[in-house]
Amino acid sequence: MTLLHDIANELAGMFFADARLSGAVLALVLIVAGLTNSLGVEPLIGGGVLVAGCPLILVEAAFRDARRRRRS
Amino acid sequence: MDVVSWAVAAPAVSAAFVASLVEVVEAFTIVLAIGTLRGWRPAALGTSAALGLLGLLIVALGPLLDRVPLHLLQLVIGVLLLLFGMGWLRKAVLRSAGVIPLHDENVAFAAETEHLAEAARRKRTSLDWIAGLAAFKAVLLEGLEVVFIVIAVGAGRGLLWPASIGALAACVAVLIVGAVVHRPLSRVPENTLKFGVGVMLSAFGVFWTGEGLGVEWPGQDLLLFGFAALFFVTGLATATLVRRPSMEASR
Repeated sequence: MTLLHDIANELAGMFFADARLSGAVLALVLIVAGLTNSLGVEPLIGGGVLVAGCPLILVEAAFRDARRRRRS
Repeated sequence: MDVVSWAVAAPAVSAAFVASLVEVVEAFTIVLAIGTLRGWRPAALGTSAALGLLGLLIVALGPLLDRVPLHLLQLVIGVLLLLFGMGWLRKAVLRSAGVIPLHDENVAFAAETEHLAEAARRKRTSLDWIAGLAAFKAVLLEGLEVVFIVIAVGAGRGLLWPASIGALAACVAVLIVGAVVHRPLSRVPENTLKFGVGVMLSAFGVFWTGEGLGVEWPGQDLLLFGFAALFFVTGLATATLVRRPSMEASR
């Protein structure tokens, strides 16, 4: 059971080590999907939103984590 | 293979190779500690069992993935790659900026040795069993990431075999170097490799996610290099900016 627990932890850590970063990425993908599939926005514009959004999420996550670690 | 095929195959194979290198070095450190402390038999048995299970996982998942519609597969794998790749890149940026300490294989080796010695003190029987299980667990847990990366960079374009060969090459390289030096491979620039893999996986993630959502990228597969450049520059700039306040504070 410990092994299964460790495997579950490893898998969760692979994708959700930073819950807010993961949440932001999933939200961005949902927004792009909504834009292209529901609002009829040109898929390439949706792709542009994805390309612009991911680096912004990365920058925010790194700065937030750095601030948090320096405070503690 | 034409130029465009190489354009997507080369990043897939190199991502699988470099990512596997990082994970295999970490697993090797633990197996080395077990082999040194308890002998090579339990270490080899545990490692072989884990590698067999990981191989079964790839063999079982490969045909299943062929049945999933391509756009859905690209979307799911793309999102998982974004989560995984950007997670690695964030951590590499923070390590590069000195916010979190670098991973040290010598420290990991000492910790595993201490862990095994502690287990030996508590349980005087079945020590080989404990050692074998520790090797099995280390290889299985590190290998899970390798399996995911191989499937993720390989499945979307039928590159499962080239990606597997990239991962296997990394295993062979670590085993050869490890057998020669016979100590933890602490001089491998792990954070630089993790930074590079994070960049590549994030680029693949944007590319597959976009394709899964119906985006037809201009330049097709060649745009992967553009995405990789974007994440590379963003990562470097972020590491520089994050490092700055601590430098000012230390003056």
